[in-house]
Amino acid sequence: MNVLIVEDEKSLAKEISSFLTRENFLVEVAHTGREASEKIAVNLYDFVLLDLGLPDYNGLDLIKEAKKVNPEASFIIITARGAVEDKVKGLDLGADDYLAKPFALVELLSRINAVARRKFKVPDNDIQLGEFTVKINSRRLFCKGAGVDLTKKEFDLLLYLVLNHDKVLTRQQLYEHIWGNILDDQYDSNFIDVHIKNLRKKLNAHAPSPWLETVRGVGYRVTTGEN
Amino acid sequence: MRLKVKLALFNLLSKLAVAALLLLFMPLITERLNLRQIDNELVEKREEIISMISRVGIEPFLEPEADSSFGSYNILKEEFISLEYAAPGTEINQINVVRRLIDDEIIDYRVLSYSLTIDGKTYILEVGKSLARVRQTGRNIINIVVLFLVIVIVVTFVSDYQFTRLTLKPLYRITAKLENISSPDNFDSTRINTSTYDFRELDSSITGLMERIKGSFEKEREITYNISHELMTPLSVLRSRLENILLSGVKDPETEIKITESLKTLQRLQSLVNSLLLIARIESRQFLKEDSFPVNEILDQIMEEIKPLAEDRKIEIESSLKDNRTLERVNRSLIFSMLYNVVNNSLKNTGEGGKIRIETMSDSQNRLILTISDNGKGMDREQVSNLFMRFRNRNRNSGDGTGIGMAITKTIADFHNIQISAESEPGRGTKIIFIFF
Repeated sequence: MNVLIVEDEKSLAKEISSFLTRENFLVEVAHTGREASEKIAVNLYDFVLLDLGLPDYNGLDLIKEAKKVNPEASFIIITARGAVEDKVKGLDLGADDYLAKPFALVELLSRINAVARRKFKVPDNDIQLGEFTVKINSRRLFCKGAGVDLTKKEFDLLLYLVLNHDKVLTRQQLYEHIWGNILDDQYDSNFIDVHIKNLRKKLNAHAPSPWLETVRGVGYRVTTGEN
Repeated sequence: MRLKVKLALFNLLSKLAVAALLLLFMPLITERLNLRQIDNELVEKREEIISMISRVGIEPFLEPEADSSFGSYNILKEEFISLEYAAPGTEINQINVVRRLIDDEIIDYRVLSYSLTIDGKTYILEVGKSLARVRQTGRNIINIVVLFLVIVIVVTFVSDYQFTRLTLKPLYRITAKLENISSPDNFDSTRINTSTYDFRELDSSITGLMERIKGSFEKEREITYNISHELMTPLSVLRSRLENILLSGVKDPETEIKITESLKTLQRLQSLVNSLLLIARIESRQFLKEDSFPVNEILDQIMEEIKPLAEDRKIEIESSLKDNRTLERVNRSLIFSMLYNVVNNSLKNTGEGGKIRIETMSDSQNRLILTISDNGKGMDREQVSNLFMRFRNRNRNSGDGTGIGMAITKTIADFHNIQISAESEPGRGTKIIFIFF
């Protein structure tokens, strides 16, 4: 998939670009609105990651322009936090999602994937983990045909780890994904540990779950062995 | 006591004092005036009689058979004249009040006694006038005056009260404007319409002052907002860079841990900046207050959220929710944060086996009272007074917090006009009290 990163902060653009490249995207970068506008006019992109705070261009105009040339392109707006109106306007103009700075790279990836699945109507395949099956559509976990009773938070946590399998996710990344940002100050790494502990307890009552690993001092990881 | 009541009371009292003084001295004055009038009349009568005697001689006045004295009362016993012999050489000329019994009736008379010598004989002439009638007239006058005074006092009191009420109205409007606001941002700067110079001055100087305060508040917020905003981009760069290093696979576990630690530090910075931004945004009213929901709904949500953590620490969460009224026109996610911060703070400061209690009730003024109390480690007086100030309760929060959560809670409470206060004692626990609207 082709991604255009429109971000005036060069070092941030570089980090996003190298991350997405590693995730097998074809990435191009524009540092100014003018540059972005030229690229959009010439190339077809599947995704545009757009920083709304461009010095030379109103980011919202860029969405309008791009939608004319390439209605298929998906937009994910990146902005410094707080500009609620920008978010609403952006989504009104047809942006697909919204991320506040600073964000986790894995969160960006999972948003891109979610938009892509929606757009290309990729059926959510069931995911097999040892003796467990994660049914994404029905949001249920099964073990040897029997349902495993998880709370909403436990399921969300598991699903996020599963969708980002074979990557270590830090507690902060997990916390932000599940609780969002409003409770910033109350971020408590124990939250994740407690939920993982409860999740493990429930899993192990059905079958062993060696695929859910604790990476000491870093975070948690689900290993599928696919990579 | 309100100013208009005070003024009216003073007004009334001073009028009553004047009236009382008047009523106290009026009988004395009327009595004196009356007596003087009567005395003049009596003297006139005496002169009249003396001139009559000099014209017709004294004989017609002396009754022959009765021992040569003369007395005459008019029919109503109003006046009398008497003439009788006196011891030779008696000299008398006086006026006094004499009580006489006439036909079983005691009557006070003003009597003029006068000695006169005619043909070598001495007589005493007495001219008297009853005081009953003039006293009655005096009483009638006093009654009329009392009635008049009552009417005057009532009428002027009512009109004075109305006048002060109308005149003071602008002053009450000014105080009402000040009473109804929790911060200068809510100040209504429309001028008050009044013809009283002093109130106009007062209003315009208060408004001017408020505008200046508002201006400096705004400036402060803007600075906070801009600094926080500008910090986001470098934070973002650092975070992405560190995450990239982790994700690209670090071989050395020690390096991996170090990078994670750096991310954690960065996370604290991020959450600090976010908190400052949040406060700045609330204070500059970027949040809408458009939600309505029963208070239990949000409390249930908070308890649900906190349950796994509380269970893990063997802390019991009790609730006694007696007032499930609907919160109107609030921002739901802010109210959630406000209460959640407090519950989470309790959780952090309560040891294993502790207890957190959430209570709602309505007070005598039908306000919603919400308390969140714990039996945790509590705070000393100084910590309590710093509890809601930014960065001041650092040592209280262990671990991940930035020490700004309670400041956020306070900001949200202010934004919604909710009163918040804390009670605490070291070793006994803490109680946070919210009073809604």
